[in-house]
Amino acid sequence: MKKYFKNIYSWIDERVELEEVVKFMGKKYVPVHSHTIWYYFGGVSLFLFIIQVFTGILLLLYYKAGEELAFESIQFIMSKVQFGWLIRSIHSWAANLFILALFIHMFSVYFEKSYRKPREITWLTGMLMLFIAFAFGFSGYLLPWNELAFFATKVGTDIAGVVPFIGDSIMIFLRGGEDVTGATLTRFFGFHVAILPGIFTLILAIHLLLVQRQGMSEPMGYENTKIAERKTMPFFPNFILRDLLLWLIVLNVLAILAVFFPWELGRKADAFASAPAGIQPEWYFLFMFQTLKYIPPQILFIDGEVFGIMMFAVAGGVWMMVPFWDRKSSRGEANRLVNYIGLFAILYIIVFTIIGWLV
Amino acid sequence: MKNLFLFIFILFFSFSISFSESSDKCFECHQSLGDKQSELFVKDIHFQKGISCADCHGGNSQSEDIDEAMNKKSGYIGIPKGDAISKTCAKCHSGTKMSSKYKSALPINQLEKLETSVHGKIATSGKEHIAQCVTCHNSHGIVSVKNPASPVHPLKVVKTCTKCHADASFMKTYNPSLAIDQLEKYRTSLHGKKNIKGDVKAAECVSCHGSHEIQNAKDIRSSVYPTNLPQTCAKCHSDKDYMKEYKIPTDQYSEFSKSIHGVTLLKKKDFGAPACNDCHGNHGATPPGISSISKVCGSCHALNAELFSASPHKKAFDEKEFPECETCHGNHGVVDATDQLLGINQGSVCIKCHQENKFPKGYATAKIFRSIIDSLEKVSKEAILYVEEAEQKGMEISEAKFKLREAHQSRMEARTMIHSFNNEKFLEVTKKGFDVSEFIRLEAANAVEEFYYRRWGLGVSSLIITIVAFSLFVYIRRIERK
Repeated sequence: MKKYFKNIYSWIDERVELEEVVKFMGKKYVPVHSHTIWYYFGGVSLFLFIIQVFTGILLLLYYKAGEELAFESIQFIMSKVQFGWLIRSIHSWAANLFILALFIHMFSVYFEKSYRKPREITWLTGMLMLFIAFAFGFSGYLLPWNELAFFATKVGTDIAGVVPFIGDSIMIFLRGGEDVTGATLTRFFGFHVAILPGIFTLILAIHLLLVQRQGMSEPMGYENTKIAERKTMPFFPNFILRDLLLWLIVLNVLAILAVFFPWELGRKADAFASAPAGIQPEWYFLFMFQTLKYIPPQILFIDGEVFGIMMFAVAGGVWMMVPFWDRKSSRGEANRLVNYIGLFAILYIIVFTIIGWLV
Repeated sequence: MKNLFLFIFILFFSFSISFSESSDKCFECHQSLGDKQSELFVKDIHFQKGISCADCHGGNSQSEDIDEAMNKKSGYIGIPKGDAISKTCAKCHSGTKMSSKYKSALPINQLEKLETSVHGKIATSGKEHIAQCVTCHNSHGIVSVKNPASPVHPLKVVKTCTKCHADASFMKTYNPSLAIDQLEKYRTSLHGKKNIKGDVKAAECVSCHGSHEIQNAKDIRSSVYPTNLPQTCAKCHSDKDYMKEYKIPTDQYSEFSKSIHGVTLLKKKDFGAPACNDCHGNHGATPPGISSISKVCGSCHALNAELFSASPHKKAFDEKEFPECETCHGNHGVVDATDQLLGINQGSVCIKCHQENKFPKGYATAKIFRSIIDSLEKVSKEAILYVEEAEQKGMEISEAKFKLREAHQSRMEARTMIHSFNNEKFLEVTKKGFDVSEFIRLEAANAVEEFYYRRWGLGVSSLIITIVAFSLFVYIRRIERK
């Protein structure tokens, strides 16, 4: 058996020089310290993305985009297709866990200041992937064409329409017309399965290439530790195997969630019905949605909602640009302001999400 | 003695002066001219009560001088026009003057009622209400409603109403969709036939629709609005004393109000259920005869009636002069047609005729029909229970759930098909019900099975993943120790 594997390996090695890649990985070391645990969340995010691609392709075999087909096709997937219920539930659960893993990964990188020179581009590509993940969530939420998704999309695209000057055009572009209709569904489907995956994969490739090229970031002050005291582990196979172990645990969690808490389908969307009570966006948009509710209708001369959206846009921009304004960290100096901002952001998101959930 | 004669002369002279001064100069003059109004007015109840021309037309009725008598300064208004007519009547008919001066017991709210009635709406001229008092009561020559000469006397009122209501071009200006053949129909009804024979107790327009307060039949305040109509009919038909001479029962309303029709209409306010007129007719009200009952019931229960007419029962019922639907279901007190009516058990209507020893074939059919209907009910209920269980377990079984409607529909069809009293047809319909119930039961049972399969599947998969993960963990520990 071993001989056959060796032969296959040699066959590939002769053609693509696999030996060099293995040697490169074997030489790569991952620092071991008290915060090493946070390194794994990038891998978990990657794993969940792979699951999304895999389950998404399977769902594509039966899903039909269209006002009169979408809901029925998901119903068919869940009741008639062998393991369709499992694939759909895993896709929905993994989507949410993916965003959660991205949040954890982002905040861990932020607090570790891993974005500092020379990893600015890695941070930027990561942030871009988070935004695309939001777009994945927003577009995918509508695809089952159920009541909640229909009205949440209506509210969501309404908010996009508030943006000054270009809001109206964005809203019409997103909806494919004045209202949320079958046209919105087909273009959201297009975004979800073609445009977003294409862009995401490209950025992900750059992100992973940079991580491989630059190696794992070391914690602040790590360079002051004596070389003898610096602990490391080989990227291959140790770190990869640990990653794999976590992936298996995540897979188990996903299976349990899919069986015990199958993702509901709800009622088919009806454009003429009145909006049901408790229309809410997905949980990761809830803190922004709840904030917009609390903003007074008029702030100075600006419309309250416009003000809120602009504030979030500015905050997002500032957050994204942290490698460029946090000079202290790049110089290896502690920057408490960055920590305070990060803590505030975490608390803000948690508190407003809980309020949004409860109200 | 001379003085006595003088006293008597003065007394007589002064009396004659006072008499001539209080007499109605308008009436005297118009009567001498021989005009129609004064001729009619002599018979008028108002004339008999001492009401003068000037009381309605204004002016000075004591003056012989025409210019002074008909002077506007004396309050002369001439012939009142439009709403002024009813207001003139209401001067007396809406105040205390009626009871205090004329000792009348007549109500004093007629104008108020008229103005809020359908006739109180604005006429197409836009200047006045549609009907004034004189439209129905006439102007000169008004007599008591009990007087056969009155246009609103029970024997005359139908003609009075049809002055307008049978006039197609007039009615078109107000309600083009309203029929104008009420009188023709009425004359074909029992009420109409009795009325024309001089029976003042037989219902006419006012008996059902009311008089001054009359409303559009679609208005909830109308006495002939579907939910009010049974009580309107019951005013006479439930009054034993009133109906005594007609020798018909008086329990129709109490029976109807307890019936499935009555409960649905009166309590649930479902206008799909019939009121009295839906079976008996309204203007052409007549009780359905033995041969027409299935047609009357069939106007709503069309399929049942059609199947019955083609069934062997039709001929048998006709020969024995059994009133079709009524024989099994009753009439005014018709109850909800449950499965209990079918079969050979107590409460069944079949065994009224089909006793085992007399008509064994019919007895056997009733028995089979009932057992099949019961089985269908049983499998349908089982299917519902399975669907509920699968739903409770969170399984997606919307198709089976949707099919429950089909199962229900099949049960309804089967119950309708009973009226064909045909084994083959009945079995064909019930088979559909059994098939669909079986389909639902299987789908739901599979879903429940799938639920447990998923749990087991998860358990096995989790175990495998856990073993692999644990092995990996052990392997990592091993290579890291090296």
